[in-house]
Amino acid sequence: MKMCKYEHLIDDYLFDRLDDEKKKKFEEHYFNCHYCFEKMVEREELISTIKLKGETIFQDEYVADMRKGATWFEKIASFFTPKRWALISVYAAVVLVVTCVLISRFKPSPPQFFISEDTVRGESITLISPVIDIKTVPAKFEWKDSGKNVEYKIYIYDNGNKLWNATTKDNFIFLPERVRKRMTLGGKYSWEVKAFSPEGTLIAISSKVQFKIAKIE
Amino acid sequence: MSKKKQAINLDEIYAKYGPVIRFRVRKSLGASNPDWEDIVNEIITNVIEKINRKEFRGESSIGTFIYTITSRRIIDYIRQKSKILKHAPEPAPFPDPHEHVENKERAELIAGAIKTLKPKYREVLYLYYYKGLSREEVAEKLSITPHRVSERVNYSQKLLKKLVKK
Repeated sequence: MKMCKYEHLIDDYLFDRLDDEKKKKFEEHYFNCHYCFEKMVEREELISTIKLKGETIFQDEYVADMRKGATWFEKIASFFTPKRWALISVYAAVVLVVTCVLISRFKPSPPQFFISEDTVRGESITLISPVIDIKTVPAKFEWKDSGKNVEYKIYIYDNGNKLWNATTKDNFIFLPERVRKRMTLGGKYSWEVKAFSPEGTLIAISSKVQFKIAKIE
Repeated sequence: MSKKKQAINLDEIYAKYGPVIRFRVRKSLGASNPDWEDIVNEIITNVIEKINRKEFRGESSIGTFIYTITSRRIIDYIRQKSKILKHAPEPAPFPDPHEHVENKERAELIAGAIKTLKPKYREVLYLYYYKGLSREEVAEKLSITPHRVSERVNYSQKLLKKLVKK
């Protein structure tokens, strides 16, 4: 293969890296050397293409080079290109939507109960009667049904002290005569009901309701 | 007969040296300079006139003769522009990447061929031509000799020529 002793100057000439004297010599040379001129035209075409399309041609090399030489900050900054930001935003939106859907689907049942002296949270039982002042000692206590297979415990208090309690599967109970006798006219009483599942778990509770047995004037 | 022979010779000179003159002028003035093609035509006309006037006596090669005329015209142009503009016109960076835009298909072909080269050739082309590192800097980065860098560049060029021709 034909070689020319000036051939090695082609790249330096194209990149303006030759001093004036060498440059002039080489220019005069390629006016006389068709081989070098042809080579130079080919090389110029290659360099122009690389300069024009290098970004797409050398994607792998560029990424590898960035990984080798860049600082952490530069790496992170170069990673978050506008395209990647857009992609991350889309991913984040999708994750958010999926999370919301999952949360709404698998929402845990509300906390059953947190009971203190005066506070009741969770499912509650509505007491029907007696809930206001009454004129006679009540014979029947009634509340709203909380479902099947529920066992209710009723508690009656006299001035805060437990007077009587009982268990039933109905949503009402008749007060035994012996208890009624202990309740007096003008007395202030309160009552509450708790519901339990067949396993014995507390599932609902009423608020404590006060009632007064009014004196007959 | 003699006139016909001379005309054929001038045609040959035009065909052989036209591209060289164009390259030299474009390199010196930049392809974005609107005057470069006029300058080339002026030089070619000047060369033909001088040959017709027997000013070329064969003391140097015809290549050197044309090179001298070309260089003088380029220097004249720069001087002339410097007077008007108070400074020399800035030549565009060379090789100008936008120069070959008109030949997009060919650029695509070459780009596609580069992508098929082995990584060891691609990385040399990337560092040497795209990043503009010197032969020595590329050699240091790749832990090879500068001579090996030149070899890889030349071999890449050879491979690309084959691939593009296919």
